[in-house]
Amino acid sequence: MTQRLQDIAASSIASWIPVAILAALPFIVGGSWTFTLGLCFANSIGVLAVSFLVRYGGEVSIGHTFFTALGAYAVGVLDTRFGVSLWASVPLALLLGVSLGIAFAWPSRNLHGIYLAVTTLALALAVPEMINNLDWITGGYEGLYVSTPLVPGVEMGLQRYYLGLAMLVAVAAAVARFRLSRQGMTLLLAKTHPAAADAFGTRRVWARIAVMGISGGIGALCGATLAFSGSTVSPGGFTFWQAIFLLVGSVVSFYGLSLVRVLIGGAFVTLVPQLLSASGAWIPVFYGLSLLGMILLGHYLPRIQKTLARRKGGA
Amino acid sequence: MTFWDTLLYDLFPLIWSGMITGCLYALGALGLVMIFKCSKVVNFSHGNVAGLTAFLVYGLSSGVLLSLSWGAAVIVALLCAVAIAFLIYAIISPLVFESDLTSTIATLGFGLIAQGVTLLLFGADIVALDLPIPRFAFSVFGLLVTGYDLTVLAVAVVTIGALFIVIDYTKLGIAFRAISENPFAAEVCGLNLRSVHLFAWVTAAILGVIGALLIVPTTFLSVTTVATFMLQAFAAAVIGGFASLPGSLVGGILIGVLMNLFTFYVSPEFSSTFLLGIILLALNIFPNGVLQRVGGSRV
Amino acid sequence: MDQVTNALRGDGIALSFGGIKVLKGLDVEFRAGEITGLIGPNGAGKTSLFNCLTGAYRPQHGSITYAGTSLDGLPPAARAGKGIVRSFQHVALCPDLSVRENVMIGVARNYSAGWASAFLPLSAGRKERQDMAAAADRVLADLGLADSADLLPSELPPGTQRLVEIARAIVGKPSVLLLDEPAAGLNNSETRDLMKVLRKLASTDLVLVVVEHDMDLVMSICDRIYVLNFGEFVAVGTPEEVRGNEDVVRIYLGSDDDE
Repeated sequence: MTQRLQDIAASSIASWIPVAILAALPFIVGGSWTFTLGLCFANSIGVLAVSFLVRYGGEVSIGHTFFTALGAYAVGVLDTRFGVSLWASVPLALLLGVSLGIAFAWPSRNLHGIYLAVTTLALALAVPEMINNLDWITGGYEGLYVSTPLVPGVEMGLQRYYLGLAMLVAVAAAVARFRLSRQGMTLLLAKTHPAAADAFGTRRVWARIAVMGISGGIGALCGATLAFSGSTVSPGGFTFWQAIFLLVGSVVSFYGLSLVRVLIGGAFVTLVPQLLSASGAWIPVFYGLSLLGMILLGHYLPRIQKTLARRKGGA
Repeated sequence: MTFWDTLLYDLFPLIWSGMITGCLYALGALGLVMIFKCSKVVNFSHGNVAGLTAFLVYGLSSGVLLSLSWGAAVIVALLCAVAIAFLIYAIISPLVFESDLTSTIATLGFGLIAQGVTLLLFGADIVALDLPIPRFAFSVFGLLVTGYDLTVLAVAVVTIGALFIVIDYTKLGIAFRAISENPFAAEVCGLNLRSVHLFAWVTAAILGVIGALLIVPTTFLSVTTVATFMLQAFAAAVIGGFASLPGSLVGGILIGVLMNLFTFYVSPEFSSTFLLGIILLALNIFPNGVLQRVGGSRV
Repeated sequence: MDQVTNALRGDGIALSFGGIKVLKGLDVEFRAGEITGLIGPNGAGKTSLFNCLTGAYRPQHGSITYAGTSLDGLPPAARAGKGIVRSFQHVALCPDLSVRENVMIGVARNYSAGWASAFLPLSAGRKERQDMAAAADRVLADLGLADSADLLPSELPPGTQRLVEIARAIVGKPSVLLLDEPAAGLNNSETRDLMKVLRKLASTDLVLVVVEHDMDLVMSICDRIYVLNFGEFVAVGTPEEVRGNEDVVRIYLGSDDDE
């Protein structure tokens, strides 16, 4: 968070190296890994949406599956019912995510901290039943299968992989750019000193609505990517637990917004259930322990470093 | 059917049974509010830990783990709940004094662990937990009143009454109130924050076990039953103002009745969406009851 | 003439919190081109008066006008739009932004590049950022802070952080500038720099009000001084008049332990 401008510039160069490696991966690893990595990119965008809310709004959401579901179903429904490809459905998903983010931010504009967190929890709970009960359009439990290619003629597995990567890189770059913008700076001030931001012309309600709108939009892009890269859209991907896992991903990446950080969070959200799929009961235990571990690490690490530094200084 | 018949046969029974479940939501909400009032932490592990203890009662009395008598199983489960509350508080207490939001996220971690442990010990199947609840029923003015209803009412009244007596008259209860009003002043006066926090966590755990055990007869016991039940408790706490104990009682009964009416008259499929609507509406209509910050601007 | 027409006026401002009267019907006129001091013991109501002027609090009675137009009912952000700017008693810089960026926020309301250029590499956003940075750098240079522009606020001593706040307040060329204890935490040389800056700022069209405990600073730079005690003015006048006022002397001698 406390990056200076040069550091930001340096990190944007540094993040091209992982991008180059990721771009080369499909030629090295097998098809199943390509698929998993595509999901991993999509989930990274979701983690980024949650972290964005924390970094720019100072608020925690446990309901971002609402936005991911929105984006995923926008793509899924347009694809399966109308045969519309991503070129049109992704902008629509973004628009829907931003609008509903704003629509949610308005009634909750005066809520902060745990009050907002509890409200987002209610949002997450409402998602699965909305999907199941709107089955005439969402396909209910069965879900939807996204199969319209983005670029005709290119192998579908590669398309799913590279679209995920491209979306992630684009979103991460846009968010990195936002940090330097006028709006980004005023939001950061509004987070730490709302009264000061007010005194310089940024209303608190505006700040909240802007942050929720952006975060909702990023969430919807995550969903759109999930739908295409993961090929199916079904209620199982947008449960209450999935919403918590996105938060866990955000916490384990220390709410980072850089490409590498969100990739760590996204990989966590994607890979842990896959690696532990044989013993499903261990998944929540593992997630819970990681969440606690990272929080306690964040709490004790500065202290441990200080003690170590003091010892070194003494010796 | 006339209007009055509808009222008699649908509305009154719906309100009555809504009030009964509402009492249980209130028990859950009281636990959440007690912890929140003194430490500003929302305990997201409440439902899953209470669910785990309900499963423990099942496991200890049915022969899955042990074959204890029903009473002994409940006592062991209560002790476990208290021990878990101690453990959770011990781990997060350094965080509580740093950031209420971080410690709230940490409780999500404990919730995940409790859920995982329940799955590991008892699996994902639905089990039937039989409690020795008197099975009788009689009708008052056409209203069917069951032994279960009266048991829930009696337990809720006794538990909540005992809780309010403890808070009003015991030393710990008075310290709890003082710290909820002003933690800094209370600590300066020599009150121990940690012991009061522990008191709240332990009380909440006990209330959670009682609520979980009493909700089970209305449904089956599965890994999600109690967690789902606690979500209604969350809504009850929110409506009650989250920082008010009497408020959560009112909120619990209100949620119980409203949910019953909604599922019967409108749609049983959109109950969570309805809950979201209620929460948003309540927070906007009574922001001052819920939000202390809204009144004065901080500069 | 200009001085009076462009004044920030408050007529009969009364504010109370739950029955406690914080401000008891104050009449003030802060004139453009003058430096007005607002002094008084702790709890006298100085910051509350600031909060009423900037719109953070709504007084129960009285009206506030700037240059003849009423400000009543306008929220803080709208008053900021009219060029009424304040600094804070407690440093309110964003810890995540560099010093330059913190100052840039002071001119943000003059720019309007859209959301697209906030996220995409468009020339409008780049130009806006360059212009804002240039404005911030000019002010930082004026205050002798050019070397600190790329640092984070937490890397600066408290006194310098306060100067950064003042830089943020003046970079947007405000018409009214309310400074809440600008010299708190500043050492002697920093205070001297600050006085120089304030004198330079006192141009004909700026209403400049300073709440301050440092009597030397107040007495040497202010044209007029309002002395506030228990929500009422006990004295108003030039530094000489205030210095000679017996009530003021009594208040200040009697409240030594407050300082």
